[in-house]
Amino acid sequence: MATAIIETHGLTRNYGDICALKPLDLQVPEGEWLSVMGHSGSGKSTLMNLVGGLDRPSNGALRVGGEDLLMLSEDGLARFRREFVGIIFQQHHLVPYLTAVENVMLAQYFHSVPDEAEARSALERVGLGHRLRNRPGELSGGEQQRVCIARAIINSPKLLLGDEPTGNLDHKSTVMVMELLKELRAEERFTIIMVTHNQEVAAWGDRTIYLDDGVLVREERLKVEG
Amino acid sequence: MKRLLLAMVKAGSSWTITPLVIGLFFLIYIGIAFFTDETLIALMAFTRKSIILAALLALIPLNSAFRILRETGTYLTIRRVLSGKKADVMPELFDDAVELPASPSITELESRLAAEGYRTRRSENTLAAWRGISAFPVRALFLAGTFCLFTGILVSVTTRTSQRRMVIEGEPLPTPEGTGGTVDRIALANSSGSILSRTLTMEVAPSGSGYGKSVFGLYPPSLYGGFFVYPRYLGIALHFSFFAPDMPSGYETHCTLNTYPPGKEDNAIIPDSPYRIIFSIQEPDAGSDRYTSYMTGNITLRFKLLKGKEILFTGSAPGGGKFVRDGYRLALPDIRRLVVTDFIRDYGVLFIWWSALLFGAAICIWLPIRVFFPRREMVFRYEPDATRACSRAEGGSRKHAGVFHEALDLVDARKTEG
Amino acid sequence: MAIFFKLIPHVLSWVGIVLVLLRGLSGHRSVVTAASMAGFVIGVVGAFILLGSFPGSFSFGIIKSALGVSFLLLWGVSVATIYLSTGRRAAISGGGRFVNTKLGAGVVSGLAGIVAGAVCACRLTGTGGNALAVVLLALAAGALAYALVFAARAVDRLLPASFTVSMSGMLAAVVALLLFSSSSILRLDLFSPLSMKVMKGVHDFVHQFMESILIPDHLFVRPVVWKYIGFLFGKEVGFWGGMVIWFTPAVLIAMAIHFERLPSVAHIRQGAQRRRLLAAAIRVQRFRLVIPVLSLVIFSAAAYQSSFPSVEYWDPKPLPVSASQAGEIVIPKKGDVNLEDGKLHKYLFKQGDSEVRFFVLMTPAGKLTVDLDACAICKPDGYGQAEGSVICYYCKTLIPLETVGRVGGCNPVPVPFTEKADTVVVDGMTLLNSWSATVKATARVKEGGK
Repeated sequence: MATAIIETHGLTRNYGDICALKPLDLQVPEGEWLSVMGHSGSGKSTLMNLVGGLDRPSNGALRVGGEDLLMLSEDGLARFRREFVGIIFQQHHLVPYLTAVENVMLAQYFHSVPDEAEARSALERVGLGHRLRNRPGELSGGEQQRVCIARAIINSPKLLLGDEPTGNLDHKSTVMVMELLKELRAEERFTIIMVTHNQEVAAWGDRTIYLDDGVLVREERLKVEG
Repeated sequence: MKRLLLAMVKAGSSWTITPLVIGLFFLIYIGIAFFTDETLIALMAFTRKSIILAALLALIPLNSAFRILRETGTYLTIRRVLSGKKADVMPELFDDAVELPASPSITELESRLAAEGYRTRRSENTLAAWRGISAFPVRALFLAGTFCLFTGILVSVTTRTSQRRMVIEGEPLPTPEGTGGTVDRIALANSSGSILSRTLTMEVAPSGSGYGKSVFGLYPPSLYGGFFVYPRYLGIALHFSFFAPDMPSGYETHCTLNTYPPGKEDNAIIPDSPYRIIFSIQEPDAGSDRYTSYMTGNITLRFKLLKGKEILFTGSAPGGGKFVRDGYRLALPDIRRLVVTDFIRDYGVLFIWWSALLFGAAICIWLPIRVFFPRREMVFRYEPDATRACSRAEGGSRKHAGVFHEALDLVDARKTEG
Repeated sequence: MAIFFKLIPHVLSWVGIVLVLLRGLSGHRSVVTAASMAGFVIGVVGAFILLGSFPGSFSFGIIKSALGVSFLLLWGVSVATIYLSTGRRAAISGGGRFVNTKLGAGVVSGLAGIVAGAVCACRLTGTGGNALAVVLLALAAGALAYALVFAARAVDRLLPASFTVSMSGMLAAVVALLLFSSSSILRLDLFSPLSMKVMKGVHDFVHQFMESILIPDHLFVRPVVWKYIGFLFGKEVGFWGGMVIWFTPAVLIAMAIHFERLPSVAHIRQGAQRRRLLAAAIRVQRFRLVIPVLSLVIFSAAAYQSSFPSVEYWDPKPLPVSASQAGEIVIPKKGDVNLEDGKLHKYLFKQGDSEVRFFVLMTPAGKLTVDLDACAICKPDGYGQAEGSVICYYCKTLIPLETVGRVGGCNPVPVPFTEKADTVVVDGMTLLNSWSATVKATARVKEGGK
């Protein structure tokens, strides 16, 4: 049995009177691809934000990669996010006036130091070796998302979070992005947590959990371990 | 023998020698400064007289020469490594050296490096990649310049001789070794050059000792009989005769007067008498060139006759003129142009001029190379299951290191494929 | 109370020195603490005894020499550092390795303490030299050193661990602080005499250089070109040349740190890990630049303090005097002015269009001297008196009172005079001729002719 990279006990998040996430106990083994499904407002993004160190829980325990996130200072959380987590958003959030390679180098800059050769290699791995000098506006939706993937993995994170990464893509692009993530996970062996409302996308994962009103209501294992 | 020679070159080319010797001379300079204000001249005099100091100074050009030898050897070795002619990649000559337990796909590696702008060369078991221009030739120029500069300083300080002579128009050239040809003409003229405002030429007729007609200018100074002819100041050669009531036999002499620029005074003492004559050149009219009289040769001398401390009278007269008053008579039959000239034997000057050229060339070539085309090299020597890779850069090293690391990652990735 | 305020720059310098030593020799904190405190007390007491035993410029000369040697050492270290950093392999010099041992740390801290203590003691001259005073002074110095060292240790604990200091940076800061501390004491100041020597050195060098490579004399050279060459013969070249010599060691050390090769990460196959190591090395490198850059600021403050000292010079307004029928100027020894009080007494003698400034002074040896208020080298800006010396306003050279009346250098030009029982008599014509010859000569020098 692989060690758990994520462990939560009674994890809760309240926004005033609204309880976005009710006490949640969850364990995610290292290397797993976990899909998180639920309707809008079910607490999927809240869970992802907590696990990614983007938000602090109101209650409960949360350990990610052996670190107790509740004990980390703001600087500590920033370091954790920088070195441990890669995030792919639905909206890309690429800098529009930087080229593809420069967008990837920006992630390197905030992590440590930029290295153009490494950024170039990362874009070649995601199949964009011929689009290095193009700006986001000159790329298709699928290509933009692939730049985001390169940006997310350039710093070798242990945990890759995707918040509806294929939400704006057509079916063909969605399949391309999922294939790419599958390939990269096999090479880099990171853990993926993918938030989605799309059953097809969720089916790419090893396990899917369903949240409803902040409560874990169901769990499906889609691949057999061992 | 070869090992001894190599050891000598290694010791002689140590980077510590030049700064240590220069530091030592500065310390001596500081020590001398506590005792005299003429510090530099005193230091030069000590160096000239002391074999130890001269030998120490000689270490600097020797060090430069050895460094040229050593760095040329290193440069040629690196070239042989890059061309695959050397069995060992010699990691000590490179910035980075790595061994990997995998063999590269040469074609893929070559195309990857070519895409980064590197030129490649394949030879048996070796792939070399490089871009930019090596700064070694510039380095050699710089070291040669250092060699010339300090050789020049050493030769100049230890062997320079300088003798001051008066070169008079119409008289034989008074060289340190005797006399040369007659000085036919001394001409001062205005110049339109950007640095020199005037030119001075001295035309010397062929001499009996075998020298042909010579024309000496200002810069660079000409050689005559192994001496540099270095004009310093302008003056006049005066032939005058003086009669006084208490000196009826009179006094006649030729003398040289340092009376330029106009207004400057020089005096002639009448021996065995209380008389002294102070001469100066009449100032030209306001707005005109102060050296017009010298240029045209029409020189009017002002004079003051002193008896003891008392000024008897003042006056002026041109060349060929005379002044008579109260029984005193001063005639100026001849006034000729004169140049106070140093005859300098100093072979070090040639070395110093060469060093200026070499340094100038070095900086002009080095700057664009360093900024636009810095040299970056890497070499991969591969066996079936292992690769030795080395890299060096003369500039832009971070970018080059990134390319090198990616190349290594490419090679390493084949470990898992194998 | 006034003494307390006078000591503030020295105290602050000392705290800075200890702080830098603690940071640079962080593995030997206790040795640094003990050696620096002991050194400071020894320096204070030793200098106090020395100044009491050898009054005059000799004692100041020893302390000034120690400062000069430390500056020369900094020069040597900075040149070695830049050579080592631009080499193909990173190397630490033997000296650097020695300093980082217990013995080396103790020696460096002790010596820094001794020099800093000696400089502080120079502020306290004139407090008497008896044994009780020495003991009390030692106790006071010890207490002060103890308090300051512990203040420095407290500040040191607040600084982040990644803020490290290289050996050469540490030396630059220590020397900068010592020179800043000494620059407020006229007789220990190095920058002004350095500027003067540089000016003379540059004059000599340019003159010799032009002679050596046979450059034509100025009468052949365009005035506009000669104006630029003439700059090298002026007073400003001493100031700017002095600045170059003053700042270059710290600049070289900063450059050496900047150009140091980053550690090799070629053996690491994961890109993020390589970059993390490089980023950490760059961060350390940047922190290590802080101290040399700060040293530049401190050197600037020392140069400023030297150029604009807050010393009040005794410079009385010249009293007008006139000559008798026989052409003699007679000045009573006592009366409105006491010529034998050891202070400068200035006079102004006018005859026709000419005027002469001169002064009368009783030297520490008890001899009266009459001198022109001008020297044979500089523009006749005159002299002031402070701290046992007269200072030439033009070149800021300090002339010890013992040597006033002697000929040479920047000494005021002595004038022959006759000392009678209660008057001093000077010949007016001699004064006028002497002044006119001196001013003419120095005016020619000022024009920069060869």
